[in-house]
Amino acid sequence: MKVAIKKGLLDMLPLNLAVLPWGLLCGSLAIQNGFTALEAQLMSVLVFAGSAQLVAVELMAKEASLLTLMVTTFIISARHLLYGLAIRNKMVDKPLRWRGPIAFFLTDELFAFSHHHRAYQGKLRLVYALVAGGSFYLAWNVWTFFGIVAGQFLPDLTNLGLDFAIAAIFIALVVPGVSNLPVLCACLVSGISILYFKTIQFEFGLVASALLGMSTGYVLQAKEDKS
Amino acid sequence: MIVTIVALACVTFATRYLFLAKNLPFTIGPRFQRLLSFSAPCVLTAIWVPIVFMPNGELVTELNNPYLLGALAAIFLAFKFKNLYLTTFGSLIVFYLFF
Repeated sequence: MKVAIKKGLLDMLPLNLAVLPWGLLCGSLAIQNGFTALEAQLMSVLVFAGSAQLVAVELMAKEASLLTLMVTTFIISARHLLYGLAIRNKMVDKPLRWRGPIAFFLTDELFAFSHHHRAYQGKLRLVYALVAGGSFYLAWNVWTFFGIVAGQFLPDLTNLGLDFAIAAIFIALVVPGVSNLPVLCACLVSGISILYFKTIQFEFGLVASALLGMSTGYVLQAKEDKS
Repeated sequence: MIVTIVALACVTFATRYLFLAKNLPFTIGPRFQRLLSFSAPCVLTAIWVPIVFMPNGELVTELNNPYLLGALAAIFLAFKFKNLYLTTFGSLIVFYLFF
């Protein structure tokens, strides 16, 4: 048990630190846009969604309609549908007391640690996921709090290159899993297509490029299995 | 305002919880599961690639740039050592040397 807790904390620690600038930004941006401290904190406590939060704060300041807000938030969050699908078989037979919190904590960051074929199997792996996801939630809320109380005194830290740290962590998590040609091609197709989707500003680009990559991997794998 | 925040929270939670709901009447067969087994590497790649290749929102044109050099170092270190901390800190050093 102690090992699972320690591993959960240590694995998530780099990401907990790397997202600091964006946590601060979520807090300070909300205050700048007329949110009360409570409302600003509740965005991270309840919505807990990084980029969707930042966009929602700006839209709310412009007095966008509730429908616009909900649709925009859905578009940015749609990738989480894929995460739920990917871990459904591992999680669906677990009691709600595990499924509920893990679903709530199922961010990009937690999903990044969910790829192991035995992830979520057995109590220790569930504890691991809960600790990793929970520590990220806590860190995100602490950074938001700092942004709320001190945002006006702090410089913008998002241009210090910490976005590279996030990229480096994801590279560190992806590369060891690239063990055969289908996975390599799947990643290449995802990477190239997301650049194209970004240049044409296609809103579902992340989901679309993931689906393109996944299909590539699937087809190549099926071909390999045949021969 | 609080009502709006709760509504948005419902949207984000729904996207995460939907396919973990027990009473959703469908099962994922082995073929679909195999397709989904590519989801993590593909999504993570689709997140890190734009950070590295479009750090300012536009495709980078010159190779002598900290994001590209740092990413090359990260790929090399991850491939060689398969260690999260070593890859992260090693490539961060390369990144800040050129930043």
